[in-house]
Amino acid sequence: MKGKYHIVVQNNRLRYELDIRRNITIIRGDSATGKTKLINLLEQAADFGEGSGVEVICERPCRTLGGRDWNLVLPNIHEQILFLDEENSFVKSQEFASAVKASDNYFVIITREDLPNLPYSVDEIYGIHISGRYHDLKRTYNELYHIYSPKAFSGKERPEAVVVEDSNSGYEFFHAVCEENGIDCMSAGGKSNLKTVMRQLDKEPALVIADGAAIGSEMNELYQIMCQRPAVKCYLPESFEWMILKSGVIDGKSVQDILNHPEDFVESRNYFSWERFFTVLLMEYTRDSYFKYSKNRLNGTYLHEKIKSAILDVMEGVSWRE
Amino acid sequence: MLKIIFGEVENSVYHPPTYFDNQYEDEWITDPLSVAMIKDIDKSDVVGTHLIQSPVLGPISTKEISGGVKTLILMAFDKSGRIFNASSCGDNCAKWIVELGKKKDLTINLHHVMDFSSVPEFEAVMLNTNVVVHSYGEYLEEAITIKER
Repeated sequence: MKGKYHIVVQNNRLRYELDIRRNITIIRGDSATGKTKLINLLEQAADFGEGSGVEVICERPCRTLGGRDWNLVLPNIHEQILFLDEENSFVKSQEFASAVKASDNYFVIITREDLPNLPYSVDEIYGIHISGRYHDLKRTYNELYHIYSPKAFSGKERPEAVVVEDSNSGYEFFHAVCEENGIDCMSAGGKSNLKTVMRQLDKEPALVIADGAAIGSEMNELYQIMCQRPAVKCYLPESFEWMILKSGVIDGKSVQDILNHPEDFVESRNYFSWERFFTVLLMEYTRDSYFKYSKNRLNGTYLHEKIKSAILDVMEGVSWRE
Repeated sequence: MLKIIFGEVENSVYHPPTYFDNQYEDEWITDPLSVAMIKDIDKSDVVGTHLIQSPVLGPISTKEISGGVKTLILMAFDKSGRIFNASSCGDNCAKWIVELGKKKDLTINLHHVMDFSSVPEFEAVMLNTNVVVHSYGEYLEEAITIKER
């Protein structure tokens, strides 16, 4: 399933409006914001149809998924938007993650748990915003130029230390940039190690660079650490490959068109997260050219001055030189 | 004293709101502590044992109060010895959990690192490591080292 879907769920007392555009959306936040009520309304609409008095407006069928037999039900549902309430502890299981990966449905999961088995985006974590009877979704983590920080963004800042989530091409690129500019650079060796490395940083300001498309499960803890250490910020583009595509160094209007609304191109059954989609896209567009991209080892072309500058220009809020 | 244990534990209730619906006692609802918690979290008034006045939904039953408040009421009044999953509570319940922990020995179960930063005075025993933390900062440092969720 692909595309963005606007959902309205309402009865005569409550109205919810949501926009869903990826395979996994997480709803969390304060108590008493109406999360369970939303699930109840969807259940009633699914069970009794129009006779429920609940109106559900969406291009795709919306329904709930839960209970002990979820794994029997799910294989028979296709191209629907499925809502799961927080009572379903199976959402943190590997079995559920595998089922989501193979599924052509979108999943809206109500939970405060991190769910490390699911690669969800920092941009698809929401709380419910209430105004009288009206409820809509509000992003939990705000960004400017893909920089996430509890402190309001105040112009370009040069980091003294950089932590990169992975140890592959992205790390090689930033390591080279940092080395040139006298900035410490280290690899966390995976997103789950980021918080440990962040806590050990002895230089500030520091910048953590990670794939926003799949960092969702780490955000609760990373954000709390950032609140304690306001000089540490996170730069979370979709992925390093997205940065290269965004920079325009790979020619093609079609690339920029895809980046403007990826949800219309990413088939959820083929791509567990958007980060994988952008990797495949970049590899396809650079095949048989001197830009040929490999995730494991950085092609030296990307470190040529003009190319490197174009990629760094994507990071609007970061300054590299003193 | 507040005691926190992360991850799966014996004798814990994963979804306290369901347990509440089936086990709550009428007198719990009209206790001044519950009245205050329902007012603070749900912005609703307790009219009687079976009636709550919500600003959005109008008159509702006790079973329609929020999952977070149901969990807090269980933490305050349930005598079964069960440990309740505080990951059913939003961060707006944090101050009440700490408050309850000051009045009695309260063990809570967490499946995520709850944000207690809004609570000025925080003290707890982290049962996974048996470390006593005296501030939110110490709690966060300790919680991040614990693998269980």
